[in-house]
Amino acid sequence: MKISILGTGMTKFGELWGISPRTLAREAVNDALSDAGIVQKDIDLLIVGNMLSALLGNQQHIGALFAEELGLSCAAFTVEGACASGGLAVHTAVMGLLSGQYKTACVLGIEKMTDHKPELVSSALMAAGTNEERLSGGTFPGMYALLARSHMSAFGTTSEDLASVAVKNHYHGSLNPKAQYQNQITIEQVLKSGCIADPLKLLDCSPMTDGAAAVIVTSKKTAKKSVTIEASFVATDSLGLSTRASLTELSSSRKAAYKAFHQAGIKPKDCDIAEVHDCFTIAELLALEDLGFYQKGKASSAVRAGEVTHGSSKHLVVNTSGGLKACGHPVGATGVKQIVELADQMRGRCGKRQVHKADIGIAHNVGGSGATAVVHVVKRNG
Amino acid sequence: MLSPVKIWRNQKKIASLLGAQGELVVWTIIRVPPDGFSDQAPYPVGLIKLDEGKTVIAQLVDVSEGDLAKGLRFRLVVRRITEPSTEGVIPYGIKAVPQTY
Repeated sequence: MKISILGTGMTKFGELWGISPRTLAREAVNDALSDAGIVQKDIDLLIVGNMLSALLGNQQHIGALFAEELGLSCAAFTVEGACASGGLAVHTAVMGLLSGQYKTACVLGIEKMTDHKPELVSSALMAAGTNEERLSGGTFPGMYALLARSHMSAFGTTSEDLASVAVKNHYHGSLNPKAQYQNQITIEQVLKSGCIADPLKLLDCSPMTDGAAAVIVTSKKTAKKSVTIEASFVATDSLGLSTRASLTELSSSRKAAYKAFHQAGIKPKDCDIAEVHDCFTIAELLALEDLGFYQKGKASSAVRAGEVTHGSSKHLVVNTSGGLKACGHPVGATGVKQIVELADQMRGRCGKRQVHKADIGIAHNVGGSGATAVVHVVKRNG
Repeated sequence: MLSPVKIWRNQKKIASLLGAQGELVVWTIIRVPPDGFSDQAPYPVGLIKLDEGKTVIAQLVDVSEGDLAKGLRFRLVVRRITEPSTEGVIPYGIKAVPQTY
């Protein structure tokens, strides 16, 4: 693949009651354009990653809406795949460039979640599940709780193991000025936080977040190639959990990662950084195992030993941004933010959370309870 | 909003599952419910592997939290699903009760 990442931008993630979606989009995209050193007329494709604008904001057709807001007069449309909408938007842009029809694309991931009461957002998010899951009164924390309990039962994973993921990602968040949560937490605090869906506590769960992230990608041969996308794959599994062959893995993650590693010509051990989909603490353990970084049941002890923590890791550092847990999870923006974080690490722009060696990175974005998985491999050149 | 047409269309599926029996595979307790379920929370939701082979997800009722265990036998029954909406349609669907109940 010959796709270069020219520029990145993102807003602060958090509870942004005073800021409209239009303003969020402008901030993220203008930052990305100035970073890329290009202007609006250089963009010939806008892909928007978003899940909830229709369900919560009563607004669809936001490809055209944001093209208007951003002063773009190019092809523009939305891609939706629940919490993987952002990753799918990046994938769609890459496919558009590879087709040869477009030369330079802007990918905007955006979500506005905190304007509404939590029960309503929770119900809206369940649009990503099956009708049966909705009729059972299930929630996304509930679906991941079923995965957590299955993992605990199969491998002896404990609540402390789950909590250690949140502790690590809050530590990383404390180093990221754009993260929703920049406070460090302890395992005890996680265990004592209120139960949402047993065994998942409040601090095992990613928050509801407002935010936007943008990347500019190009296929132009003359473009600077300091950071490139080496692989982009999507895989799917059954929409709901009840028809899965296994509840201790997300096979969509495994399939997408296998293809992405193969295309990029690398192995999991070659990765220096990874942004993985930790919508709940159990999800990061599943990701570390499904992506091939650890054998099944072995990720929890590695996380607890600090093997993937900034500063104590000997090699791979996971979720330097703070992940979905601490950086926040504006669902349509998350998959784009992951690419922003990888590219910024590779260009040495991450301040206190900058890792020493960031040459190869992987972004892993999941929709629903594993029905969709998107994996990108990003590489620093020279 | 649950369309009455969708509820009507789902009746066949509900009828085909009524009375089916199986074993609890895994469960959770939903303590922060979605819209429409506030009057029922906290409540358990679990995956039940039916004797006929397929696995279904359902809310578990008439069972106390302490009695939940892998392998516990359940039977599917018809129950009210959520608080009725303003349009007045009461949504009925499948929930699971312990087989001994």
